[in-house]
Amino acid sequence: MKLNTEFMRETFIASLGGVPKTFLITILTLLVSIPIAFSMALSKLENKNVSSKIVTGYVSLIRGTPIVLQILFIYSLLPSTLNYLIKDVFGLSYNIFKMNKIVYAIIVFSLNNIAVLTELFRSALGTVGHGQMEAAMTVGLSKRQAYARIIIPQALVAALPNLCNTVIGLIKNTSLAFLMAVQEITAISKMKAASGYYYIEAYLMIALIYIIVCTVVQLLFAVIEHQLSGYKKRLAV
Amino acid sequence: MHPFHPEYIITALLKIVPYVGITLLMMLGTVIFGGLIGILLARAKIKRRIIPRAIAEGYIYLTRCIPSIVMLFIVYYGIPFLLLQFGIDVNHFSKGVFVITAFSILFASNLGEVFRAAYLAVDPGQREAAVCSGLSEFQAFYRIVLPQAAVHALPNFSNMLVNLMKEGALAYSIGLIDVMGEGSLLIGMNQGSFSLEIYLAMAIIYWTLTLVIELIFGRLEKSLSKGRKHATSVA
Amino acid sequence: MLKVKNVSKAFKDNQVLKKVDLEVEKGDVVVILGPSGSGKTTFLRCIDFLEKADGGEIEFDDIKTDLNHASAKTIEKIRKKSAFVFQNYNLFANKTALQNVTEGLTVARKVPKAEAIEIAKKALDKVGLSDKYDSYPVQLSGGQQQRVGIARAIAVNPDIILFDEPTSALDPELVGEVLKIMRELAKEGITMIVVTHEMKFAQDVATKVVFMDGGVVVEEGSPKEIFTKPKEERTREFLMRILPDFDYTI
Repeated sequence: MKLNTEFMRETFIASLGGVPKTFLITILTLLVSIPIAFSMALSKLENKNVSSKIVTGYVSLIRGTPIVLQILFIYSLLPSTLNYLIKDVFGLSYNIFKMNKIVYAIIVFSLNNIAVLTELFRSALGTVGHGQMEAAMTVGLSKRQAYARIIIPQALVAALPNLCNTVIGLIKNTSLAFLMAVQEITAISKMKAASGYYYIEAYLMIALIYIIVCTVVQLLFAVIEHQLSGYKKRLAV
Repeated sequence: MHPFHPEYIITALLKIVPYVGITLLMMLGTVIFGGLIGILLARAKIKRRIIPRAIAEGYIYLTRCIPSIVMLFIVYYGIPFLLLQFGIDVNHFSKGVFVITAFSILFASNLGEVFRAAYLAVDPGQREAAVCSGLSEFQAFYRIVLPQAAVHALPNFSNMLVNLMKEGALAYSIGLIDVMGEGSLLIGMNQGSFSLEIYLAMAIIYWTLTLVIELIFGRLEKSLSKGRKHATSVA
Repeated sequence: MLKVKNVSKAFKDNQVLKKVDLEVEKGDVVVILGPSGSGKTTFLRCIDFLEKADGGEIEFDDIKTDLNHASAKTIEKIRKKSAFVFQNYNLFANKTALQNVTEGLTVARKVPKAEAIEIAKKALDKVGLSDKYDSYPVQLSGGQQQRVGIARAIAVNPDIILFDEPTSALDPELVGEVLKIMRELAKEGITMIVVTHEMKFAQDVATKVVFMDGGVVVEEGSPKEIFTKPKEERTREFLMRILPDFDYTI
């Protein structure tokens, strides 16, 4: 018995076709979740009232349960709920079951990612010393200006390494989008594998594609970090 | 929409809870075998000898990029395939063996990084002082450095454990009957009519496990680091 | 010009300030002395609302307010008339020396950018950092960072500058460069309140010395009065401890 290299080559090329979809889900999820997570992290830091308790509970629930469970739960609940709302409550005739499945993927991954990013941003904001805010106040900046010009730029740099990990985690999680019938990398090669019973070959190729994708993402972050963290570097003495 | 039966959540809980043991067993196996590889990885990175270090870095890099579900399938299909080349048939092995193998390979990196960070968090002066007062290298490590490193490792270890539990839920996809596996079976048996209730029951179980893990490790850290914190004073 | 009255502050059940009063006239250099834990830093921080006092009033030119219930508007007004120099500098880590100085001008006071840069360069020149405009805080020594801190304070042309132990975090050999600039500012007639342990500075520069201990003002007067004939036993003990060659004549 030998690995079927011809099949591997074919699967690799076919699965590459799923890469844009993986990136699309990742990018849209980040666009949705980053601003929400940031404002949730700020609300947790700034006021200790009911809303921050709700945020804490939400973060704990999402971070305390497997993402596969969240996917299955929402995917079994959301379409029929939306259908009920559209048909019976609003009386519209839109067929929700025809909606692109990617929308569900983005909703699920956003719900999950918001919780992860809230924690991440909260700890990143915490790394910026309290003195920075005080100094900003004493030179006459408003709280909003202080956040926008002094605190957030520094927090962002502190958050970058963890943000990179989170994005890689998110990309890896998108491999579960096949559970929602989204045709991304894993879904395509799973189908290829089942068609010829060359499972091991197919999965090795998926692994390879993820390694390539993650490498690209890490290089990207390295470039961004280099650009943004100029102020942290000491001159050689 | 199916009508919602909250009382079925209890029924589902009672049916699934006995399988918590399988989930925990899977985690234990992974921590033991992944931990062994993790120790090697941490050692290789700390010692700074070029070749072992490069191997460790490469291992960590690659495993960090591979989704759990992909690794599960590679191991599940790949190991029997590989061993068959040597005439060993492992197709009748328990699913648990493949699950623990896959997660040990993946989580060895995380465990290695937890160990390394904890080791590096202990001031090198501690080892130097121990060696200078006549302890052997091994005694210095075992009696002075290790107990201090363990305390540093606790929060990260707790995090890693929760992640392992959550990723471990994917084992149902190769047919392991743990919490997630039993839940899915239950959904199949009911032809999907109680799926929301069953998902909620599973969520309750996993969330509780997470909170318990965090509680235990939080307590442990508090009690072990007693007397190590400086007295704080108001300026 | 500046009057604060009855300032009280407690951290949990530790009463740090017990009804402290202070009056500052234009051109004054008020030096606050006292052992650590005496409440002097907290007092200074309450004046600029970095710490919210439990009670007390402030009167700053025509602005008058309760320290505990001041509106955000009033706080902003007072902060725009004053400047603060921190013990650990608190330079904005993501801004160059020049940007640290222009920040309060362009953003808070709406000074046009070109003009702000002119002012900032002058301020940095004054503290002897003409060659460090584009350096980030991590690239500067402690003494240089504190000089940027002072440039940031003088650039906004404040009515008063509050110094919170500006030399305490510095290595001994760097203290001199900061004190020298503060002496120059005093000579120019800039009003300041300085919390410090630098006795020589207090003796030479202060127009008024305030000795605090246990959250109250024990004694205040001219440097001569305080350093040569302190009235209170506590002041005497403190000076004896801190000045080895202090010989007190009663």
